[in-house]
Amino acid sequence: MIVPQESINQYIPHRDPFIMIGSLVSATAERFESEFLIKENNVLVEGGRLTESGLLENIAQTCAASFGFLDREEAGEPKIGFIGAMTKVEVYELPPVNSTIRTIVVPLHQLGNIYLVKGESFREGRILLGCEMKIVVTQ
Amino acid sequence: MYANDVKMSWEEVIEETRDFLSEEFEVDRNLILPENSLKETLDLDSLDYVDLVVLIEENLNIKITGEDFKEIVTFGDFYQLVRKKLNL
Repeated sequence: MIVPQESINQYIPHRDPFIMIGSLVSATAERFESEFLIKENNVLVEGGRLTESGLLENIAQTCAASFGFLDREEAGEPKIGFIGAMTKVEVYELPPVNSTIRTIVVPLHQLGNIYLVKGESFREGRILLGCEMKIVVTQ
Repeated sequence: MYANDVKMSWEEVIEETRDFLSEEFEVDRNLILPENSLKETLDLDSLDYVDLVVLIEENLNIKITGEDFKEIVTFGDFYQLVRKKLNL
């Protein structure tokens, strides 16, 4: 683990109750990985499960935290990123409260300050959701 | 089948490029002419350029950077860039 849950807000602009990432497990230019424990009081939980919106936000925040971590590694200030577009969204399963999800993001392409990434979230080895996102990073 | 992997003529590259651009961006392929504006014809916003980069890589197996796009106004400019990258 490279960023524990208690320090994650140093790398993302989000604040409670909208933090949808737990710890950052790893982040390299080629691959980001995070973990997230879904609590009952999460604002994006409905009917005892994290919604699709929560899973998508988790992928976006995994990107944000990873970009922030990598920026800081290069002695720069973390930049703010925005979701520009989402495509190829496929939802397989919604995770229940008190479960931990693992999210893997792979940057596919970069054009200037726009990144195309592929994100997937998993629980106990089963895929929950997959998508592609365009993330626009402030310059 | 990639243009870099097989010997395609320049005309074949142009026709294939017109095909995948018209299909992906839902534009009449007859509007994809050397003198027409790439941005206006394909109705590109900044996010769409990423799709264009992906399409070019998938179909022609060449990489286009943000710097490359600075010189491109028309499809003719675009074709010249592709030709240069393919060494045709």
